[in-house]
Amino acid sequence: MRRTLEGLITALVAVVVLIILVRLLPGDPLAEILGDRAADPAQRALLEHQWGIDRTIVQSVAGFFAGIPRGDLGISLSEQRPVTAVLAEHLPPTLLLGSLTLIVDFTVGLALGVWSALHPDTVRARIIAAFTLIGYALPSFVVGTLLTWIFAVNLGWLQTGGMSDVLLAGDASSSAILIDRLKHLVLPLTAMVVATIAIPLRQQRTAALVSAAQPWVLAARARGVSPAAIAWRHCWRPALTPIVTLFGLWLPMLVAGSVFVEYVFSWPGMGLVLAHATASRDFPLVIGAGLVLIVVVQLGSIGADLLYHVVDPVQRAP
Amino acid sequence: MKLESRIGLALFALLVIVAIAGPLVAGDPLAQPDPLHGAFLLPSGAHWLGTDQLSRDVFARLARGARVSLLIAAIAVAVAAVIGSMIGLVAGTATGIVGRCFQRFINLGLALPRIIVLLVVLAAVGTIAPATLGVLLGLTGWPAVARLVRGETLRLRVAPFVAAAQALGATRLRIVLHEIFPGTLPAVLVATTLGVADAILLEAGLSFIGVGVRAPAPSWGGMILEARDHLANAPWLLLAPCLALVVATSTATLLGEALRRSLQPETR
Repeated sequence: MRRTLEGLITALVAVVVLIILVRLLPGDPLAEILGDRAADPAQRALLEHQWGIDRTIVQSVAGFFAGIPRGDLGISLSEQRPVTAVLAEHLPPTLLLGSLTLIVDFTVGLALGVWSALHPDTVRARIIAAFTLIGYALPSFVVGTLLTWIFAVNLGWLQTGGMSDVLLAGDASSSAILIDRLKHLVLPLTAMVVATIAIPLRQQRTAALVSAAQPWVLAARARGVSPAAIAWRHCWRPALTPIVTLFGLWLPMLVAGSVFVEYVFSWPGMGLVLAHATASRDFPLVIGAGLVLIVVVQLGSIGADLLYHVVDPVQRAP
Repeated sequence: MKLESRIGLALFALLVIVAIAGPLVAGDPLAQPDPLHGAFLLPSGAHWLGTDQLSRDVFARLARGARVSLLIAAIAVAVAAVIGSMIGLVAGTATGIVGRCFQRFINLGLALPRIIVLLVVLAAVGTIAPATLGVLLGLTGWPAVARLVRGETLRLRVAPFVAAAQALGATRLRIVLHEIFPGTLPAVLVATTLGVADAILLEAGLSFIGVGVRAPAPSWGGMILEARDHLANAPWLLLAPCLALVVATSTATLLGEALRRSLQPETR
C-alpha cells in the first residue's frame, strides 16, 4: 500500500517536473507549427492561447492535472487531435512487444543464467557469457539495423516496417494474416530481447552461483537428489529474490529499448510516438506519452514489490 | 592487469587518438567532392573507409563523429560526477529531514526513465549544440552516481578513522570533506568510467532518431541512420559507425569493470 502510494507520488512529481521543464527552457515550442507565420503577432497569440502557453506555469500544471480525470491530456501539435486518442492507438503495440520481451527475458534469460551458473566451465557457458557482453555493448538500434540487414534485406525471410503488411489483401485468410503479423514481430522482438536480456541473465547467474555454493546444495547432492531437482528447487528458488528487485532496474531499460527499437522497425508504439513527437517538437504529446510510460514503469515496480512478498517468505513474517 | 583490460585500454586509446588526430588528417567531413560519380566508393588510398551516398569521406565523418561523441560523453560524466557526488554526500551525511529529502530526491531521479526526460527537454528546446547535449546528459545521469556515493558515505560514516576525527574534535564539515569525501572517490571514478559508455550510447541513440547531433553534422548515430537507406547496395556504410560505437561502449565498460576490480576489491 505504502509502495503504491509512493509510486503514484513519484509519477505525479515527475510529470510536474516535466511540465515545468518545458515551460522554463529556452526555445519556442510553437516554432515548428508556426513556420513562416511566426512573425504575425495575431496568429501567434491565437496559437499560444490554444496550447496554453500564455498561461502561468502554475496554471499549466493545474490545468494538466484537472484534465487527467476527464482523460484530457491536451491537443497534439503535430497530429492536431487529442493526445489521449494518439496514445490509445499506440499503447497496445508497445504493451504487446514489451510483454513478449518480458516473457522471453524472464524465462529464457533466467534459465540460461541458472544453467551457466551450474556449468561454469563449459564452452556453452562461455558462449552465453560472450553473448551477454555483446548484448551489453551493442545498442538496441544497432542490433535492430543489423538484423534488418541480415534477415530482411539479404535473406528476405522476415519483414520490417510496422506491424503488418498494408498491401495484404483485405480478404486474406486468418492464417495468412497471422503469418504476416509474426513475420513483422520476430525482428523487433529479437532486438528487444538482445538489448535487455543481459540484465536478468547475469543477475540470475550471480545469484545462482551464490546459492549453488550453499551447504544445503551439497547436502541435497549427498542425499542423491537428482541434478534437475537441485537446479530447480535448491538453486533457482533461493536465487529468485534478487531477480525481483532487479525488475525495477530492468523496466527503464525496456522503455529506452522500446524507443529505439520501435524507431528502427517503425513499430507503431509509444516509443515511436515519443521519437517522432520529439523531432517535431510536439510537447503536449511528449509529456502525455512520457506520463503514460512513467505510470507503466511505476505499476511494474509495484507489481514486482508485491511479487517479492510472495517469493520471499521472510517478507511475509509479521 | 588482465588481458581483456589491456585490450580495452589499447582500443580506447586508439579511439581517443582517432578523435583527436583523425579530423586533422582526414579533411572536411561535410565536403561533397563529386556526388554524381564519387558516391558509394569502396575503401581506397584516397578514402580509407570509402564514401557515402553524397560522396563524403566516411573516415572523415567517423573521426569527427568520434570527437563529438567523446566530447559529449566527457562533459556528461563530469557534470554527473560533480552533481552526483554533492547530492550523494549530503544525502549520506545530513541527518533528519534534510537527509531524508535528499534521499527522496535521489530515488525520484532513479525512478524517472532518463530517455523520457531527455526527449521532453529536446522537444522543448529543439536543435541543440553538442556541448549542451553533454550537459543535458550529465543533468540526467547524476542519480546513479549519487546513489553510489550515498552508499559509500553511509559505509564510511561509521569507519574507525571518522570516529577518531570526531574524538579529536574535528567539525562536521571537516569530517565530510577531509575524511569521508576522499573515500568515495574510487566509487565515483568507477561510476564515471561506466557512465562514459551510457553517455556515448544515449548520444548515438538520440542522434539516430534525429534529435541529438543533427545532420549534416557527423555523428555515429546519424551515420547509422543514413546507412539504413542504402543497406541493399552499400552495406559497408553501416559497419564502420556500428563498429566504432561498439568498440567505444565495450571498452569503456571493460575499463570500468577493471577499475572496479582494482579500486574496490570488496565489491567482487
